[in-house]
Amino acid sequence: MLPDNKLFSKKRLHDFQQKGYLLTLLVKRNVKNQYYRSFLGVLWTVLNPLLNMAVTALIFSILLRETPESMPYTVYILSGTIIFNLMRTATASSTSILVDYSSMLQKTKVSLGLFPTANTFSALATFFFSFIALILVSIYYAIVPDKSLAQRFFLNWQTIFVLLELPALVLFSLGISYFLTTLFVFFRDIKHLYESFILTLWSYLTPVFFTTKTFLDGAGSLRRFVIYGNPMYYFVNYFRDLIIGHGLSSSAWMQLLICYGWGIASFLVGFTVLHLSKNKIIAHL
Amino acid sequence: MEKKSMQLSNNCLLDVQNVSMRFSRYASGILSLKELFVGLFTGKLKRDKIVSLQDISFQIHEGEAVAILGHNGAGKSTLLKVVSGILTPTKGRVTCRAKIAPLLNLGAGFDPNATGLENLFINGAILGMSRKELLAKKDKIIEFSELGDFINDPVKSYSSGMVARLGFSIAVHYDADILIVDEVLSVGDVAFNNKCNAKMQELRKQGLTFLVVSHSESVKELCSRSLWLNHGKLVADGDTEEVFKLYNRYMQEEFKNNNSNVGGLLVPAKGNIDNKQLKDVPNFLATVQEDSPVIEEFGGVSFDRVDEDKKDS
Repeated sequence: MLPDNKLFSKKRLHDFQQKGYLLTLLVKRNVKNQYYRSFLGVLWTVLNPLLNMAVTALIFSILLRETPESMPYTVYILSGTIIFNLMRTATASSTSILVDYSSMLQKTKVSLGLFPTANTFSALATFFFSFIALILVSIYYAIVPDKSLAQRFFLNWQTIFVLLELPALVLFSLGISYFLTTLFVFFRDIKHLYESFILTLWSYLTPVFFTTKTFLDGAGSLRRFVIYGNPMYYFVNYFRDLIIGHGLSSSAWMQLLICYGWGIASFLVGFTVLHLSKNKIIAHL
Repeated sequence: MEKKSMQLSNNCLLDVQNVSMRFSRYASGILSLKELFVGLFTGKLKRDKIVSLQDISFQIHEGEAVAILGHNGAGKSTLLKVVSGILTPTKGRVTCRAKIAPLLNLGAGFDPNATGLENLFINGAILGMSRKELLAKKDKIIEFSELGDFINDPVKSYSSGMVARLGFSIAVHYDADILIVDEVLSVGDVAFNNKCNAKMQELRKQGLTFLVVSHSESVKELCSRSLWLNHGKLVADGDTEEVFKLYNRYMQEEFKNNNSNVGGLLVPAKGNIDNKQLKDVPNFLATVQEDSPVIEEFGGVSFDRVDEDKKDS
């Protein structure tokens, strides 16, 4: 294409709109395919996290007997799970995507980032459905209070600020997706290594099921590092702080800042790796 | 950059200047980390440099129909990828002021679970059509594809001919400036095939620019100009009749010589071909033929694998 020298031109705007439209089409299709032909259809997007939560909450409340101070354990698990799953679904579904679409990518000029990006946004869409499930459960606990809690748990309007961290989490997931999908073109074992080892380990090292307090109780520097060096800790923690209704305290702002730091760093690395390897990827597909 | 593009004459759509394409890859084709580590420790890791295109220059003007000839692995598909911007050349520059539509591997990337209509929109948008354009052209595309009510069925229930018909209709209705066509394009049954050929002739008459990959003389009808690629070099560019004469003579000669003198024949003395390169040609040919995707495979239709189970986890 002819070099477009103006930063903002009609053509640029048109291109941008067109790309956005394409992305919406792909996300719509992905969400539709996810529960393709199932009896309850789109209802599963809400039911899935609810059932999942029911099982994990049952098992872990027997096994661990954790008592988070300010929120019911089921809400604690569900909030941790859905935010972690956004990252998990986005990255895991993107890993093999370039290879899956190899025949198209070799013949049509499509940005290599398109399909990983579409998958990440599909994960975001799924997250919103799961979020509905979380709201439903929260409302239940607001009506039927959990007696083991010191104070009554209720949602307030400030919960809406959880949305502030989503762009950061999307950037973070995009970065990992770009990086993994590039790596997968050259090394096919990455998929197994990532999905069954790294993601599993990661989900257990992130305070999804356990509370940070019990984990860090009298802990050494290694344990501290495991928690504070883990970007997902901040995403999960910020999310919960706002679900509880603490609002945007200064510590919440601090966590949000760290989230954006991780998000932007991850995106830049992934984006650079993907675009620098463009020719090699096409030759290797 | 800007200065250069200003120099293009008004009707020049595509300007390829001194384009070279080089790939390096591990000789054994490593696809797993294990192999990489084993290779690193045993020291058996060799990198191959594959020269796929060498110093190629040509221009394509509006309304031209150009055929690209060459033996398997001559670099035709790499050239097409460079021209359409899928690959960035190692050296040289491609200036393109045209919208390019590929008419290869029709239906590649169709989602078998989605309906024909959904795929129509997605595929059109991937080519570069906007929402407005798609809504306006939707009916025409469906009509041309002759799919009728099947358009609302999932694509996995389609026959391969139906998939190709839909793919062809979408690509043809995208207002491209250059259409890239594979010779072995066969779309559906004879009747529809004739319809496609008629459509292409019609577009040709309307002044659409074509870039056709070919081996056989059947392109003579469509193309007046031909480029002949031999081992990554552009050895001839001119009138189709003339180029075909040279090409056929060369292929016969090569067949007789049974690879003993490959590449030496008929390569115009540009002054930059040294003997070492000529000696390398048989080896080089062997590597390229093994590794590069063969163009003839494009005619068929394939679905992209979409794993359903990996999507929810």
